[in-house]
Amino acid sequence: MFWGKSRNIVVALEVGSTKVAAAVGEIRPDGTLALLGIGEAGSGQVRKCEIVDFEVAQGCVRDALAEAELKTDVVVAEVYLAISGAHVRSTNTRVTTLISSDGDEITQENVQELHDMATAQPLPADHAIVHHLLQHYVLDDGSTTDNPIGLASKQLTAHFHQVYGLATRLQTTIRCVKELSIEVKNYALSSYATAQAVLSRNQKQLGAIVINLGGGISDYIAYQKGAVVHSGVLGVGGDHLTNDIVSGLKIPYAKAEQLKKTEGSVILDPAESEATLTLPGAYNFEERLIYRNSLNTIMQARQAEIFEIILEDLQGAPFWPDFAGTVYITGGASQVKGLVELASQVFPCPVEVAHQSPFDGDQNYGRRPDLSTVLGLLQYARQAEMELPPARGFARVGQSLRRALANMRLI
Amino acid sequence: MIEFTPDGPFAEKADQLFPGRVRVIGLGQTGAAVCDQLVLHGRPNQDLWVFDSDQLTIEGSVVPNRHLLGRSLVHGLGCSGDIDLAREIVALEENRLSSVAKGCDFLILVLGLAGATGVSLAERLVELGHESGAKVIVIGVQPFAFEGPSRRERSVQAIANLRAEADSVLVLAHDRIAENPVTQKNIRHGFHIMHQLMSQTAQALSQVVCKRGLIQLSFADVRSLYGRYTGSEVLENCWAAHVEGDLHDQADDLVAELLNCPLLSDESIWKRVDHAIVAVSGTCDLGLADVQEMVSLLKDRLPVNVPIATSASLDEESNENVRMTVLLATTAPARMSVPEIAATIENPAPKKKARAKSDTVPLPHVKPKAKPAREPEPVIAQEPPKKPAPPRKAAPVPPPAPVTVETQTIADEELMPVSAIEAEVPVAVAKPAEIATPRRYVAKQEEMSFEGPPRGRFEKTHETMYRGENLDQPTFRRRGLKIKV
Repeated sequence: MFWGKSRNIVVALEVGSTKVAAAVGEIRPDGTLALLGIGEAGSGQVRKCEIVDFEVAQGCVRDALAEAELKTDVVVAEVYLAISGAHVRSTNTRVTTLISSDGDEITQENVQELHDMATAQPLPADHAIVHHLLQHYVLDDGSTTDNPIGLASKQLTAHFHQVYGLATRLQTTIRCVKELSIEVKNYALSSYATAQAVLSRNQKQLGAIVINLGGGISDYIAYQKGAVVHSGVLGVGGDHLTNDIVSGLKIPYAKAEQLKKTEGSVILDPAESEATLTLPGAYNFEERLIYRNSLNTIMQARQAEIFEIILEDLQGAPFWPDFAGTVYITGGASQVKGLVELASQVFPCPVEVAHQSPFDGDQNYGRRPDLSTVLGLLQYARQAEMELPPARGFARVGQSLRRALANMRLI
Repeated sequence: MIEFTPDGPFAEKADQLFPGRVRVIGLGQTGAAVCDQLVLHGRPNQDLWVFDSDQLTIEGSVVPNRHLLGRSLVHGLGCSGDIDLAREIVALEENRLSSVAKGCDFLILVLGLAGATGVSLAERLVELGHESGAKVIVIGVQPFAFEGPSRRERSVQAIANLRAEADSVLVLAHDRIAENPVTQKNIRHGFHIMHQLMSQTAQALSQVVCKRGLIQLSFADVRSLYGRYTGSEVLENCWAAHVEGDLHDQADDLVAELLNCPLLSDESIWKRVDHAIVAVSGTCDLGLADVQEMVSLLKDRLPVNVPIATSASLDEESNENVRMTVLLATTAPARMSVPEIAATIENPAPKKKARAKSDTVPLPHVKPKAKPAREPEPVIAQEPPKKPAPPRKAAPVPPPAPVTVETQTIADEELMPVSAIEAEVPVAVAKPAEIATPRRYVAKQEEMSFEGPPRGRFEKTHETMYRGENLDQPTFRRRGLKIKV
């Protein structure tokens, strides 16, 4: 059995509106990531990625982690946590400092100073920071760079994408995990994590928007020239489609969910205007005839609205006029029929289904869009682990030993 | 009662220390309502003025000095949120405003921060007040979240503009009373509560800045608490509570009642409160020991330990009752709060003090040259309270000339009682020849429900609002799509 606190083992946890997923991965000595397994449990009392009933949600997290431990033979001691919710907001900010060293050479201290200044930027009351994502540095002549150290300039400006959310709600999600005696090592915005799973470095450079259609929310993130330029969370997701079907067709929630997945489409076909389908009866539910057009109209209206709101928000962002990239769609709610066609009608740019980057290990999960966030979070965790300073002394010995054991197991 | 007359050698200097000319100006609909409260429940002898561009507001106010502005521009119809139009009105009424700004030592401006007329007038009056040597205190209230992002953004901008110029800006937030049962029952009661609190705040401030008393505070105390911010980095910075009653043998009850006031019942404010001003006034029976007892009781009962500055004065008009107003303030600079674990992850190394950014908030007298940065704009407005329907504003008074003509043409029908009009309907059905006559639509006034239709799975969650629409409601229903079942 492997101790999950080892530097080689990373665990990603997503508490979603539909399910809780815990992915366990192993960082190999060459820096690549191998997926060991994923534990899943249906979410209870989590709406729009926010916990409604703490104890029930905590039970779901416990179940998912237990399943992950069982599948991977890893004792989970710490996790990376995906953060999202309708309360999460973002903004772009920039900070500037004057260079006073000899020859106006930019040093590590100057860069650190800019990061400190960005950290000290005021936030709305009761909000806490989730990410400070560096976009680029700008020198006094207007040129941009990703690494200004060693360059000469009178002043240095850093552009950041700042993501923040309500502190109380962030803490609730974190506490839900920590009370299980599991350490939350770090957290990441869900959409940012998703982008790590589905976007290559080249796609980020060319420009890409990732829309993650989840059960309770739809979050999205935009990249341009390799940097995050915009992100947002809309508190509407696949559950809303189901809820609309329940309301419109007057059928139970479980039936509506099943209908959405098996028969529903977000594209209206005039040829099917009178087509019907039969909803089989159950012991407490009489057999019903459903007009296919009614079902699709309900779904199309909701999904189109989601895309239109996202598009409106993107169009208001400064990056949009210069954006020439592609929209990638992923997430559990992206499995609805006709989604890409509908998105293509709304967005004035190419739209594609996002495909996860290939990884080593268990390949059973690679084609499931509903796991893109948790798999992306594993990639984020790998990156974060690689950036941590190397262990020294006894810790280094212990780490080497654990790595050796891990390698033996893989062999 | 022995009256104290400051006739010693330093009498003139003492008068200069506590100048007494306070003018309270209500701007816009909210300002007028607050001044009305001052007249009805406060001190009618105060120097009160009301300005608005809406004739209905002016006509409905009980303040003697009330003035309709911009009649030639908007014909008494108000600005309807058009800030440019409001600024034109301000430019048009410059002379009238400058005369009001003169002749006082303190100007207290009361307004709703989302209204165009009030905000534009306040911005100009602050400048005019300073030109005439007066200190200007602004008491503003932020709109409810359900009133929409545009009004909220306007209020944020207004806060930034006013803080850049005014000596002190007290910002209250309507959302603090959104969950109050009284507000949930009837939104007008919620507005009424806020207007009362604002009027009591204005009254307490006028007592603090100008009135000699048993325990004296000054304008500097107010400015030190409410003049610290120069932008919209912190929006809500004031929480007020007021209580009035018989002091004898009931001090404990009074303090308990005070802490149950609507703005203080929200426990989340205690995380932010770091200072308090208590203004106590009563008749000549009020002694220092009474004041001390009340303040110590209050201090014991406050959930947080904050320094309390006390002002106590004698008031002939308080009908043997004691009035106690508490103004809570936050003065801490708006610093980023990082959740527990983030401190070690985001910034593993010890922080180095940023050179180009000051850790302390600029002092109030240091005015920034440039306009302060606005609050980061939300990506998508997401967190409205549970009351989606905004209160309808009463129909403005129509412009005189055209409406008169129109009224004359339909005068006969308009004077007909509604019951008579409704009675016509069965008659019209009975006589087919009369069906062809133009159909009359009778406006039906209904009570607005604040509980929306059921939201199904999302009942327990915060509503997702976008451009005034509740996205938790089915889209097909909001768009009027017909579903064949």
